[in-house]
Amino acid sequence: MLWTEKYRPKSIDDVIGNNKEKKEIQQWLDQWKKGNPQKPLLLVGSAGIGKTTLAHLIAEQFDESIELNASDKRSQDEIMKTVGESSSSMPLFSQFYKCIILDEVDGIHGTNDRGGVKAINEVIKKSKHPLILIANDFYSKRLTTIKTKCQVIKMKKIRSPSINKLFKKIAEEEGVKADPEVLKELSKKAGGDLRSALNSFQAISDENKTLEKEDIENISSKDDRSTIINAVTVVMKSKTPSNVKKALITEEDPNLIMEYIAENVPREYKKKKEIQKAYENLAKADLYLGRAQQSRNYGYWKYATDYMGVGVANSKDETYRKFTKITSPTVFSKMRKNKGKKNLRDKIAEKMSEKMHISNAVAISMFPYLKIMFENDELAWEISDFLEFNDEEIKLFRKKKIPKNVIRKMEKQKNQIRESKKEKYREKISEKIIKETGELAKNEVEDIESVIETQKEITKIEKKTQQNYKKEEDKFKIKNPKKTVENKKETKEKLVEDSKKDDKNKNEKSKQTSLFSF
Amino acid sequence: MSGPLVEKYRPQTLDDIVGQKSIIKRLQKYVGEKSMPNLMFTGPAGVGKTTTAIALVKTILGDYWRQNFLELNASDARGIETVRNNIKNFCRLKPVNAPFRIIFLDEVDNMTKDAQHALRREMEMYTKTASFILSCNYSSKIIDPIQSRCAIFRFAPINGESMIKRLKYICKHQKIKYEDEGLENIVYFAEGDMRKAINILQSCASEGEKVTEESVYEVVSKARPQDVNLMITSALSGDFMKARDLLKETMIIQGTSGEDMITQIYTDVSKRVYDGKMNSDIYIELIDAIADCDFRIREGANPRIQLEALLTKFL
Repeated sequence: MLWTEKYRPKSIDDVIGNNKEKKEIQQWLDQWKKGNPQKPLLLVGSAGIGKTTLAHLIAEQFDESIELNASDKRSQDEIMKTVGESSSSMPLFSQFYKCIILDEVDGIHGTNDRGGVKAINEVIKKSKHPLILIANDFYSKRLTTIKTKCQVIKMKKIRSPSINKLFKKIAEEEGVKADPEVLKELSKKAGGDLRSALNSFQAISDENKTLEKEDIENISSKDDRSTIINAVTVVMKSKTPSNVKKALITEEDPNLIMEYIAENVPREYKKKKEIQKAYENLAKADLYLGRAQQSRNYGYWKYATDYMGVGVANSKDETYRKFTKITSPTVFSKMRKNKGKKNLRDKIAEKMSEKMHISNAVAISMFPYLKIMFENDELAWEISDFLEFNDEEIKLFRKKKIPKNVIRKMEKQKNQIRESKKEKYREKISEKIIKETGELAKNEVEDIESVIETQKEITKIEKKTQQNYKKEEDKFKIKNPKKTVENKKETKEKLVEDSKKDDKNKNEKSKQTSLFSF
Repeated sequence: MSGPLVEKYRPQTLDDIVGQKSIIKRLQKYVGEKSMPNLMFTGPAGVGKTTTAIALVKTILGDYWRQNFLELNASDARGIETVRNNIKNFCRLKPVNAPFRIIFLDEVDNMTKDAQHALRREMEMYTKTASFILSCNYSSKIIDPIQSRCAIFRFAPINGESMIKRLKYICKHQKIKYEDEGLENIVYFAEGDMRKAINILQSCASEGEKVTEESVYEVVSKARPQDVNLMITSALSGDFMKARDLLKETMIIQGTSGEDMITQIYTDVSKRVYDGKMNSDIYIELIDAIADCDFRIREGANPRIQLEALLTKFL
């Protein structure tokens, strides 16, 4: 039987560590028992410190319990189906509480558990029953909406003396002869994770009922951060290939290890030749990591590890006798810090690409020129008006804001230009309307039979008038070419008037047709 | 009232396009026939590929060009999804008041091979309703099946004469004072790239003074990325940490891509040789390293690590 099961605490008091938090939970529980509904409980903390155990112990205090954890599908429908209905309903006459446990809330999957977070929020809102949520990462994105509605209890890692105490007790009960020092070491290696400590304790004492120092050397300590720094330290300090190779056997992503080594090479190595050689090896390591990723053939990783490990370690002439603090890669912090700036830049590039038919890359290549252009207040306004930049975006190109009087002046100018453009457009439109309505009138006229005859006459007259005003035109051309247009109209109208008959339609018609004829 | 001059003086009709005479002549035939095959415009940046495409579209499609025209440039999402959905849906519809519809894909060489393959089928499936205009910098990056479906037009860098003519035209309309030497200098720095030329011109003019040889030089040196120069200088002087910090700065903060960094480093180093500040032994050694680095980055290595390694060679 697994010890983690066998020695699982039977009551809340049995739970090791987190005494303050336990008290808080007890209070919460007491209030429920008195019939005062409380906010849901949100237990957060790293793995193996007893969150789930605690939740189950609490649940035992109520009449009934339901649990939903990562092994269940937790989409919106699923959650509403299993806990949604029952959470909001209550027996009429008795006090009957059903404890609902939602384990691993931060592990709700984005696509497979669609709407899961929304459903949990819903359950929290409606629930009349005690609700316990459990999560590992307090800062998980999925918890942002949830944690405001809950009583948050942050559970701490279990301190090694407490673990040690438990181990002594277990060793006695199981009849394991263990060196006290070894037990101490073992509880330290756990890094606050009781479950993993207990598992490894059982694993090594199952074979023989004695526990010695050599036994725990096989157990790698769980805390990953120390191992990566360990590995890098060995690469920096050692020249023995076997040690380096051993140190690099970790569960870490080789890309991360490479970043760490690269960051620390010039901090540790001082000779140019050494740095060059080390980087040559790193570049090769990187090449194989890239190839591994592209071809999905992760067998290449071993060469990469050798290049970045033994290769880099071997690049130094001899070990530097000095204390080295391993620095974590600055790239990540830089990336985080500059995310906002990068977003701003991309937003600007996007605006430009839309207006100017260019790609983001080309837009960014234009930035230096824009910076120069933006030194001029008016031009700065014009360009940002054209590209619809806001104040924040303008700031990327110039430190000072565009002066207000310049803005006012430019806006006035813009309005003027706009007005004149409108005016021109109106003229154009009205011309068009005159044309179209004229054609319409023409059609109407054609419909009337009686007009046909008169029309014939009109055409005759028109021919005459045309001939006449051609003559007139010739005369005017010689005299004053600019006036011809005006005079043309006049003469035309005169002629039309001359040929005027009683029919009104006719008159209109003739005017229009004559208008078209030139 | 103009905003960027590059936009204001973008030629609107085929006749206005600078340089590229023979290409325009051939394109005008399509306008007359009211039909055109799929076209591919290839050539360096700023020689008028996009401009020609848009002008052509406007003349062929007439007043309703906006309704019958789809433009996708490199910053739009152009994965297989887009090709399968957006482009397909666009092609399927009947043209409105126009002989056919036109899809303009800018910088096709930046599309993935998969997306290009998805495109090739569409190019021949909808020949009745739609025509494609593709533009790219390097036609070699386009898969063969697409190239064979297109009439390929190669745009040459714009020659100095036509460039100066255009710049003078802009100066006249914008009331910019200039000296001939100034414009010649712009042409020299623009290297056949009209967009760059106009940007330099507007930058010079923004200070409100005459465009002279000196003012052009000042603008160009101001606009040139300084960090790379400084980075190489500090690496050459042995300060690797500083050089590395500058590298991270430019790559992360300014977001310069690895390939661009390589180009800039190469330009800077070769300029040093031009100016006699570096002897040829060192130069050829560095070129060896740069070329190798370039190759590795294109092969899919992490550009930052490779560039850091490259910097150690400068020490």
